[in-house]
Amino acid sequence: MAIINLKKKEVQAKIVYYGPGRGGKTTNLEYIYKKFRSRIQTEMVTIKTHGDRTLFFDFLPIEIGRIKGYDIRIQLYTVPGQVKYESTRRLVLRGVDGIVFVADSLAVRRKENVLSLKSLADNLSSYKKSISEIPLVFQYNKRDLLDEGIPLLPVEWLEKDLNSKLQAPSFEASALKGPNVVQTMKKIIIMTIDSLRKDLT
Amino acid sequence: MAQQRDEDNFRSQVEDRLDHLFQEDSPEATDEQVGLVEHPLKNLKAVLLSIDWEITDSTMDSLLNEIKNVEYVYSEDKILLTFLQLLGSIGRYVKANKGRAHPEATRVINSVYEALEKVALTEGMTRPEKEKMLLEEVTKFKKLKELVVLRKAEKKEPAVLEVAPAPPAPPAAPAPEPERIPAKEIPAREELHAEPRTEARFAGMSPHEAFAYALEEIKEVIRAEFKALRAEIKLWRESK
Repeated sequence: MAIINLKKKEVQAKIVYYGPGRGGKTTNLEYIYKKFRSRIQTEMVTIKTHGDRTLFFDFLPIEIGRIKGYDIRIQLYTVPGQVKYESTRRLVLRGVDGIVFVADSLAVRRKENVLSLKSLADNLSSYKKSISEIPLVFQYNKRDLLDEGIPLLPVEWLEKDLNSKLQAPSFEASALKGPNVVQTMKKIIIMTIDSLRKDLT
Repeated sequence: MAQQRDEDNFRSQVEDRLDHLFQEDSPEATDEQVGLVEHPLKNLKAVLLSIDWEITDSTMDSLLNEIKNVEYVYSEDKILLTFLQLLGSIGRYVKANKGRAHPEATRVINSVYEALEKVALTEGMTRPEKEKMLLEEVTKFKKLKELVVLRKAEKKEPAVLEVAPAPPAPPAAPAPEPERIPAKEIPAREELHAEPRTEARFAGMSPHEAFAYALEEIKEVIRAEFKALRAEIKLWRESK
């Protein structure tokens, strides 16, 4: 959960980008880091392995600054998407305050999206958290590939598969090119801070 | 009432701060590439994107088939054909070795494709520019071959990752035409394989060999997990 230090007036929230392998979680953070590096003035930590895949996590801290006397810090994490790193994903989810579920829009990845969402729900429940209660934003990534004629899942299908019960905010995005990457992040930060505000005000 | 106003005010301040921090500039100028709609590379890209960590025979077969199709389309373009030959060679190596393929192979195959797409789609790119990009990818391919051979030597894996003699050129390939790329820089259709397919590899192993292989895989996962734990502890300490 968020670290709230009332004495020092610091709030640190943890947001995790979750989703199937090669869905674009790391690319989201890389886009933010490359685009706004000069403004956020922090370093992105990333541990990659075979073929540029995330081994443990990517980590991007963001200093929002002082608001109403509190220093707000956001920590963005990704989990490794590969199926075999389930225990690592669970570990990264410990203390999570908000989730971005990065779904892969490729038609061939429909099943992986559903399995990954299920694993998210299971892993959260191991920390006694509910997927329907935690701040959650869906991002339907790789929508830019539609322009290139590559078969993608219609957004309606993605909504039906993943978001019919949760009814969380969702964005069509391209982590590689940028559309809605920032909007997704802003939304989850605001939702997460909203969920913490009762401790702050 | 006052508390609600306070909360709204807080939220509004957060929003303002986020807008300020992450204000996006005007969209970057689009490059000169044309889209892939109805382009011969469209299917190849789709197949490449569908290849995930769990590489299967069917996805690799699709990739190799698609490369052949595109080779046919570009049979008159020596540069694009060479890009495709590089993709084919690495694709066959990955198919034969799957999870045991050198990790660099995935990176190189993506790099070669990206360069191929750029060369094929960028309008106005000069021939020397195309050749330069090709040479860069050829260099990466050669480096990969060296890494494969080196790894074989280090592991003393007999006949696992051989660099086999080049197979004959495909019938669709045109006769060599005058090229500005030095001939020695053009890769022959050398193969990086051939390790037996996963299931075949296990079939040929004695039980204790198969067990040792599986144990090695488990060890790798455990090593990764420990590394992850150490990193988590380090971060936790730093945050204290």
